[in-house]
Amino acid sequence: MGSPPMSSPIIVAHQLVKWYGPRVAVRDVSFSVDAGEVIGLLGPNGSGKSTIFRMLTGYLTPSSGTASVAGYDTATDSLALRHEVGYVPEDSPLYGHMRVAEFLRFMARLKGLSGRAARSSVDAVVARLHLETVVNLPAAKLSRGYRQRVAIAQALLHEPRVLVLDEPTSGLDPHQVIAVRELIRELAGKRTVLVASHVLSEIAQIASRVMILLDGKLLTSDALKRSTRTQYLRLAVTGPEAEVRVCIGAVPGVRSISIEANSAALSTRYLVEADQQPGIAQDIANVLADRRLALSELVAVPPDLEQVFLALTRRPEEEAA
Amino acid sequence: MRGWAILWLKEVRALYFSPIAYVVVAVFLVIMGYSFTLTLFISHVPTLVHLFFQMFVLFLLTVPIITMRLIAEERKLGTIEMLLTAPVTEVQIVLAKFAASMCLLMLMLGLSAVYAIVLGIYGDPDWGPIFSGYLGLVLLGAALVAVGLLASAVTINQIIAALLSLSVFLLLWIIDDFGYLLPEPFDTLVVNLSLSGHFKPFATGSVYLSDAAFYLSATLLALFLSVRALAWR
Repeated sequence: MGSPPMSSPIIVAHQLVKWYGPRVAVRDVSFSVDAGEVIGLLGPNGSGKSTIFRMLTGYLTPSSGTASVAGYDTATDSLALRHEVGYVPEDSPLYGHMRVAEFLRFMARLKGLSGRAARSSVDAVVARLHLETVVNLPAAKLSRGYRQRVAIAQALLHEPRVLVLDEPTSGLDPHQVIAVRELIRELAGKRTVLVASHVLSEIAQIASRVMILLDGKLLTSDALKRSTRTQYLRLAVTGPEAEVRVCIGAVPGVRSISIEANSAALSTRYLVEADQQPGIAQDIANVLADRRLALSELVAVPPDLEQVFLALTRRPEEEAA
Repeated sequence: MRGWAILWLKEVRALYFSPIAYVVVAVFLVIMGYSFTLTLFISHVPTLVHLFFQMFVLFLLTVPIITMRLIAEERKLGTIEMLLTAPVTEVQIVLAKFAASMCLLMLMLGLSAVYAIVLGIYGDPDWGPIFSGYLGLVLLGAALVAVGLLASAVTINQIIAALLSLSVFLLLWIIDDFGYLLPEPFDTLVVNLSLSGHFKPFATGSVYLSDAAFYLSATLLALFLSVRALAWR
C-alpha cells in the first residue's frame, strides 16, 4: 500500500451497483466530488443514500462498479481508507453503558491515536461540539441532540479529510438542527463533507452541490445548477386535462407538466417545468387562448431545489393518481 | 494487535457493566458450592470429578447467555457500522469478543479452584484428574464460546442467538445416544461429534490428543465462520 495520489477529485464513484438479495438498492451510480465540496445527497427514504455512504466508507462492498475515496479503493484498500473518512451512521449509534468521554477515548484509540494525541483530540472535539456538560454521562442518558453531537464528535477525532453524515439532523429539534447546520458550515472548505437527508430545506441550506437519488438511481449530480437552467410556471386552467396537457406540451421548451391541485368545480392548477428562455409563458398563454381554454392564473415560480426535486422524483404512478 | 487490545478491553468493560455476567457467575458459584459441599460430606472422597461434569452442564447452559449479545447487540444498536468503518478488521473484532468471553469463563473456573485448594488443604487429592479436568473445561469453554459467537453473528436478535447456540449445545451433548442407533460408518462419525464423549476422559484424568483436537478444531471452525458472517454484508 503506497501513498495515495493527491489529485482532485477526492471521491470518485463509477457505475456503483448494490444488490441486497434479489433487490437492487443502488443502480449504476457514478459521480465525483472535489476536495472541499459540501455535497448533499437528497432522496426519499429507501432511495439508496445510506447504501451509497456505506459503500464509500468501506462498510459495504459494491456488487459491481468501483469507488475511491482520498485515492483509496473502497473495496481493496478499505482499511487505509478508514483513516481518511469520518462517518456518522444514521441514528447515531452509541454504546449506552459508556460515558461520553470514555466512548470518545475508545474511538480515538481505535482510529489509531494514542496517549497524548488521543486525549488532546478528545478535548478538541468536546470543546468544538460543546459536550462539556455531558462528558461524564453515560450515552444511554443523552438526549437525541447530544447523541447526534457525540456521534459527529467521534467522526472528527482523527481529523479525516472526508466526513460522511447520514441524516445528521434526523429527529432533532429546531435549535439542534441549526447547531448541526452551523457545524457543517464550519467544516466546509476544511474537509469534504457528504450529507444525506430527505429534508430538502436542510440540504438546500448547507450543500454547495446537491445530488438527487430515487429508487437507487442518481437523477442529477447538481440539482442546484439544474434549478438555474430551469423555470417553473404555475397556471390555473379550466378545461379537459388531456387537452390542456397536449396544448402546453406542444410549446417548445416545455419539459414536463404536472398537476398541483385539482378541483371538479374550479380550474385545475398545473406546474410546468420549462427551459430557462424568454417568451415561454406568453407562448403558453397564446396556445391556450387559441384553444379557448380559460386561463385564470399564470405566474412564474422562483426556481428552487424543491421544484427540481419534485419534478425529478415524481413517479409515474403519482402522476396517474 | 493494538486494535485487538482496544476492542478486547472494551468487551471486558462491557461484561463488567453487564448484570448478566454477575448473575451467571453468581449462579455458577452457588450451584458449584452447594454441590461440592454436599458431595464431600456424603462421599468423603477428595475428588472433583463430579464437579467437572456439573460444570460441563452449567457451561452448556450459561455460555449462550454470555455470548448472545456479542455481535447481535452491535448489529441491533448499529454500532457494528461504526466499528467496521474504523481501521479494524473483522478478525480483530471476533477475536476480541472471543477473548473477553473466555476471560469470564476463566474467572468462573478460577473462582471454582477454591474447591481444589480446600481439597489440597484438608485431604490428599490426586492432582492429575484435577488439572486434566480444568484443561478439558477450558477447551470445552473455548469451543462453546466460539459457537455462541457464531450464533450471535448470524442473527440480530439476542434471544434467537441464545436459543440457537443452546440447541446446538444440547444436540451435541446427547448426540452420541442417537449415534449408536445409526449403521456404520455413520455411528462413529456422529458419536465423535459428542461434546460429552470428548469431555469424559479429561474429567477422569485421561488426556487424549484427539479430544483436545476436537475442541480446538470446533473452536477454530466456529471463529472462522464468525469472521465470515461478520464480513458478509
